[in-house]
Amino acid sequence: MTASTETLDRVRSLSQEGYKYGFVTDIEAETAPPGLNEEIVRFISAKKEEPEWLLEWRLAAFRAWREMTQPDWAKLNLAPIDYQAATYYSAPKQNAGPKSLDEVDPELLRTYEKLGIPLREREALAGVAVDAVFDSISVATTFKEELSKLGIIFCSMGEAVREHPDLVRKYLGTVVPQNDNFFAALNSAVFSDGSFAYIPTGVRCPMELSTYFRINAAKTGQFERTLLIADKGSYVSYLEGCTAPQRDENQLHAAVVELIAHEDAQIKYSTVQNWYPGDAEGRGGIYNFVTKRGACRGARSKISWTQVETGSAITWKYPSCVLEGDHSVGEFYSVAITNNRQQADTGTKMIHIGKGTRSTILSKGISAGRGQNTYRGLVRVQPRAQNARNHTQCDSLLIGDRCGAHTVPYIEVRNPSARVEHEATTSKISEDQLFYCQQRGLNAEDAVSLIVNGFCKEVLKELPMEFAVEAQKLLAVSLEGSVG
Amino acid sequence: MSAVVDFPVKPEARPYLEAFGRDRRRGDPAWLRGYRRRSLARFAELGFPSRRSEAWRYIDLRQLEQRPMLPTARPTPVVTSALATQLAEIGLAEPSYRLVLVDGKFAPELSSLDQLPSTVRLGSIAAAIAERPDLVRSALEAQSPDRPFASLNAAFFAGGFVLDIAPGIALERPVEILHLAAGDAAGALYTRSLVVAGQDSRATVVESFAGSGDYWRNDVIELRLGAGSELTRVTFVAEGVDALHFGETLARLDEASRLSGFVLLAGGRTVRHDVTVRSEGAGSRCDLNGVFLLSGRQEANILTTVDHRAPGGETREVFKGVATGHAHGAFQGRITVRPGAQKVDAHQLSRNLVLSPRAAIDTKPELEIYADDVKCSHGAAIGDLDEAALFYLRARGISNNEARRMLIEAFAQEAVDLIEQAPLREHLRSRLTRRLATLEE
Amino acid sequence: MLEIHDLHARLTDGREILRGIDLSVNAGEVHAIMGPNGSGKSTLAAVLAGRDGYEVNQGTVTYLGRDLLAMPADERAREGLFLAFQYPVEIPGVNNMYFLRTAINAQRRHRGEPELDAGQFLRIVRAKLKLLDIGEDLLQRAVNVGFSGGEKKRNEVFQMAMLEPRLAILDETDSGLDIDALKMVARGVNQQRAPDRAIVMITHYQRLLEYVEPDRVHVLQGGRIVQSGDKSLAMELERRGYGPVEDAA
Repeated sequence: MTASTETLDRVRSLSQEGYKYGFVTDIEAETAPPGLNEEIVRFISAKKEEPEWLLEWRLAAFRAWREMTQPDWAKLNLAPIDYQAATYYSAPKQNAGPKSLDEVDPELLRTYEKLGIPLREREALAGVAVDAVFDSISVATTFKEELSKLGIIFCSMGEAVREHPDLVRKYLGTVVPQNDNFFAALNSAVFSDGSFAYIPTGVRCPMELSTYFRINAAKTGQFERTLLIADKGSYVSYLEGCTAPQRDENQLHAAVVELIAHEDAQIKYSTVQNWYPGDAEGRGGIYNFVTKRGACRGARSKISWTQVETGSAITWKYPSCVLEGDHSVGEFYSVAITNNRQQADTGTKMIHIGKGTRSTILSKGISAGRGQNTYRGLVRVQPRAQNARNHTQCDSLLIGDRCGAHTVPYIEVRNPSARVEHEATTSKISEDQLFYCQQRGLNAEDAVSLIVNGFCKEVLKELPMEFAVEAQKLLAVSLEGSVG
Repeated sequence: MSAVVDFPVKPEARPYLEAFGRDRRRGDPAWLRGYRRRSLARFAELGFPSRRSEAWRYIDLRQLEQRPMLPTARPTPVVTSALATQLAEIGLAEPSYRLVLVDGKFAPELSSLDQLPSTVRLGSIAAAIAERPDLVRSALEAQSPDRPFASLNAAFFAGGFVLDIAPGIALERPVEILHLAAGDAAGALYTRSLVVAGQDSRATVVESFAGSGDYWRNDVIELRLGAGSELTRVTFVAEGVDALHFGETLARLDEASRLSGFVLLAGGRTVRHDVTVRSEGAGSRCDLNGVFLLSGRQEANILTTVDHRAPGGETREVFKGVATGHAHGAFQGRITVRPGAQKVDAHQLSRNLVLSPRAAIDTKPELEIYADDVKCSHGAAIGDLDEAALFYLRARGISNNEARRMLIEAFAQEAVDLIEQAPLREHLRSRLTRRLATLEE
Repeated sequence: MLEIHDLHARLTDGREILRGIDLSVNAGEVHAIMGPNGSGKSTLAAVLAGRDGYEVNQGTVTYLGRDLLAMPADERAREGLFLAFQYPVEIPGVNNMYFLRTAINAQRRHRGEPELDAGQFLRIVRAKLKLLDIGEDLLQRAVNVGFSGGEKKRNEVFQMAMLEPRLAILDETDSGLDIDALKMVARGVNQQRAPDRAIVMITHYQRLLEYVEPDRVHVLQGGRIVQSGDKSLAMELERRGYGPVEDAA
C-alpha cells in the first residue's frame, strides 16, 4: 500500500495534460472563473474534449441542480456553502500547495510519522509539489498489462469516455441519476475525473484494484466520479482512499460512486476515508458529501461496502444497494469515528426489490471529544421482494460526556414474507475495562485503542488484510486526545 | 377574519381561518381569545405538515387537505341508543369514576362522579376555564408552538376535561373518560384536556374513544406528574370506520415520578397517536407500551418521543404492530438523552407483523444520545408469523385461520400483558380479542 | 518491597473504608489478608493497584523504594505490580492472546527489553499453559467474554504467570471456585513463589491457605489490620470465625 505509485502517476499525467493543453489555451483559461452556470459546464466539457451526449448529460444535471436546494439536516451543523464563489474547473497545477514539508501543519506530520508513512509519500499526501524522481516507473504499466490480458478495463473516467464511450454511456447515471440529490446533481454537472473499471464476464480480477494503482491518477479533485461494472460471474475488490490524512484546498467534496453487478457477479468496495478533519476546533476541515450506490442488477449478484470513516469535518454518505436481481445480496460494514468537532451522518440504504434478496448492516460508531456521530439507514422491502431478509446491528460507543451518538433507522416493509431485524446499543467505554487494561500495563490511550479495535473487530475483518492492519493503527491515531 | 390575516397563510389553512372568523366564542375570557388567535395564526403559518417532515412521513393527509373538517356547532346531543351501544362497547366493567364527553361536551347524565373524593377534581374544561383559568392557561402555554394540529386544536377546542389529584392521594378506582361521537354531522371535534397528578399521588386514567359517522377528532392532552407520583394512562381508540383520530399527549415527569402508558389502536380510518414525554426531574420512569391492529384500508401511526432532560431516568417501550388487508401502520419512537442526563437507562422495542401482500408497516426507532454514561438500546423487527409455530399448531389439529389468530393474539398480547392492573389488563385483552375476531376477514 | 504506613482511604462519596493500614511485605514472602465482608480487603487491593474512585487522605505506600500512590495504574503494572481481579472484566472483540501480548510488550518496553515476536510469545504461552493445565482454546476467545467464573479466575492466574510480576495481589481469586479450580489456582501461585517476588492473597476463607502456605497472615477488620501472625492464625480463624478476633482487638 504505497502512495508513491499514485504520486508517480500523478506527475506523469500532469505532464501529459500540460502538453495537451499547453499550446491551445492561454494561461487564464486554465481555470474557469468562479461561479456555476451553463457556460461553466460547457467550458468543463470542452476542456475535457467530451462528446456531445456527455455535455447534454451534464447540462441536464445542472438544470436539475439549479432547481434543488441543499438538504438541511437537523443534526449537522454546517456553515453555508457559497456555490457561486467556488471554482469548478482548474487544470492541475504543479505549483499548488506548500513548497516543502516545512510549510505543512506540524500536527499532520506527526500523524504521518505515527502511521509510519515513508517520507516521500508524506510529501505527496500533504500536497507538496513533488519532483519527478522515481525508482519504479514500470509499476503502473505492469499492472495495466496484466489486467488488459484478462480484458479488464481500469482507467480514469476521462480516458474511459474517450476509449470506451459505449460502456460509459450505457452505465453512467443508471445507478445514481443526475437529479438523485443535490450533491449528486452538482457532481454530475461538473465532475472532474475519477476511476472507471469494467470486469468482463467470468473474470476474477486477480488484484485489489485501488486508487493507489490507478493508471491515471491525476488529482481528480473535489467532484470525483467512479463507475465500476462487474459483468456476469465476475469478481472485483476495489480499495479506495488512504489511511493517512489527506489535505486538499477544496473544502467541499461531492463524489459519486456507481457500482453495477450483473448476474452472479460480486463487487467488494472498501473505503478508508481520512480527509483532513480540521484542527481541534474543526477549522479548515473538509466537507465530504458522497453519493455511493450499487445496483445488484443480476440474479445472485452481491455488493459489499466496507468503510472506515475517520476523517473530514463533516461526513455525509450512505453507500447503498439496490437489490434488483433475485437472490442478490447487499452488505454494509462501517466504522465511523468522530473526535474533536467532527460530525458524521452515515449509514446505508438497502432496497429490496428482487425475490429472496438479503442484506446485512453492521455499523459501529465511535464518538469522542465533541464529535457527533449519526447512523441513518433505510431498509425497504418492496412488494415483489418475496422472502427478503435483513439484519441490522448498530452499536455506538461514547468516549467522554460532550459527544453525541444517534441512531436513526428507517424500516419499511411492503411484503409479508419479509423478515427484517434491527438492533442498536449505545454505551460508553467502561471504567472497568480501562482499568483492567491499565492494570496489565497499558497506558490509557493504548487501552482505549485496544477496546475500540475490539468493538470494531467484526467490521475490520471485512477489510482486505493489509488495509485492516493500517485501519487498526488509524483508529488509535484518530482517538488521540480523547481520554484525559 | 380580517383581524387575523396579517401573516402568511397556507392555502389549506384558509377554510379554517374563515371558520374561525364566523365563530363568535362569546364565553371565552380575553386571555383565551388572544391565545386562540395566536394559535390560529401559527397554524396558518405552518399549514398541514408535509410528508417530508419526519414526524409525518408515514401518514397520508391528502384527504384531509382536500376536504377541510371544520368544527361544527352541534347542539347538545341527546342520549341515543347508538350512544348507549358505544358506551357499552368501550366502558369498563369494574367500578370507575366515569366522565363522558359526547362530541367533546360533558354529558353529566351519562357520567358518574358522585363517589369522587373531595381531594380530586374532575370536570369539563369549560368549567375549569371559568373556575381555574390560571391552571388551564399554564397547560395551554406548555405546548410546543411547532405542532400544526395542536395549534389548530388550541384555536378551536370546545370540550375536554380537567382532572386534578391532590398531593398524596391514591385513587383506587380508575378514572374513566369516554369520548363519544354522536355522528350527527361531518366535522371536527377538538378536545383539550389536562391531568394533574399531585406529588406522591397515584391514579389510573382510562380514555376510550368511539363514535359513528364521518368526523375528525383532534385531541390534545397534557399529563403533569408531580414528584413521586404514579400515573397509569390507558388509551383505547375504537373510533368509527370513517373517522380520523389525531391524539397528542404531552407528559411532564417530575422527580421520581412514574408514567405507565398503554395504547390500543383498533378502530378508525386514519389514526395518529403521538406521545411526548419530558423527563424533567431526576429518577423518573416512563413505560410506554402499545399495539396497533389494522385491516382494510386503515392507517395508523404511533409516535413516541421521550426526552430525558434529567439524570437517572428510565424508559421502557414495547410496541407491537399488526397490519393486514391494505392497511398501513407505522411506529416512530425517539429517545433523546440530553447533555448531563447521565445514568439514563432506556430500551425500546418495536415488533411488527405484516400479514398480507398489500399491507405495509414502517418502523423508525431512534436514539439521540448526548451523554456518555447511559444504557440505551433499541430493537425492531418486521416479519410474518412464524411458519414453524403455525405448522406446529396445525399439526395438532387446529385450523389454519384459528392457528393464525392464536399466534397474532399471542404476539399482540405481550404488550397488553405489561399493564399491571389485572382488571384493566383483562378489559384490554377482551377488546384485543374482539378486534382480532374480525381482523383477517 | 511494599511498605504501607497509616493508609486511610475513602470512596468519592466520603465514606472512609481504610482507616490506618500498616503492612510490610518483603521479597520472597507470601502474605494472606483475611477478613469478613466489608472489612476493606478489596478496597486495599484497588487502592494499591490505582483504581479510580478512591481517595487516599492519609498515609504512604512505598513500593520498591518509590511512592506507589504517585504512579498511575498502568505505570504500577509496568513496575511489576499485578492484581488478579475478583471480577475480571469482559472486553468484547479483543482476543485474549493479543491482549496479553500487548500487555507483556508494554511492560518489556518499559524495562528496556526487546518486544516478543509472535513466535517467541507463543512458545512462552504454551509452556505456561502446560504448567497450569489450561486449554489453549481459552486464549482464542475475547478477553473474559463468555468465560465461566472458574475460567475467568484461571485466566487471571495465567496472566500472572505470563507477566511474572514482582508483587502479585490476588483479590479473592479463590472465591466461587470448585476444588479442582482452587487447586489449579494454588498451583499457579506456588509456581510463582520466588525469592525476588512477593504475593499478597486476599481471601475470605482459610481454604486456599491449605494449598498455599503463607508466611504471614493478617486480619483486616473495620479498615485496619487488627491482628497478624503466622499461618496458625488462619487455622484459628477457621475454628473461631472473625468474631473473637474483633473482641481481641
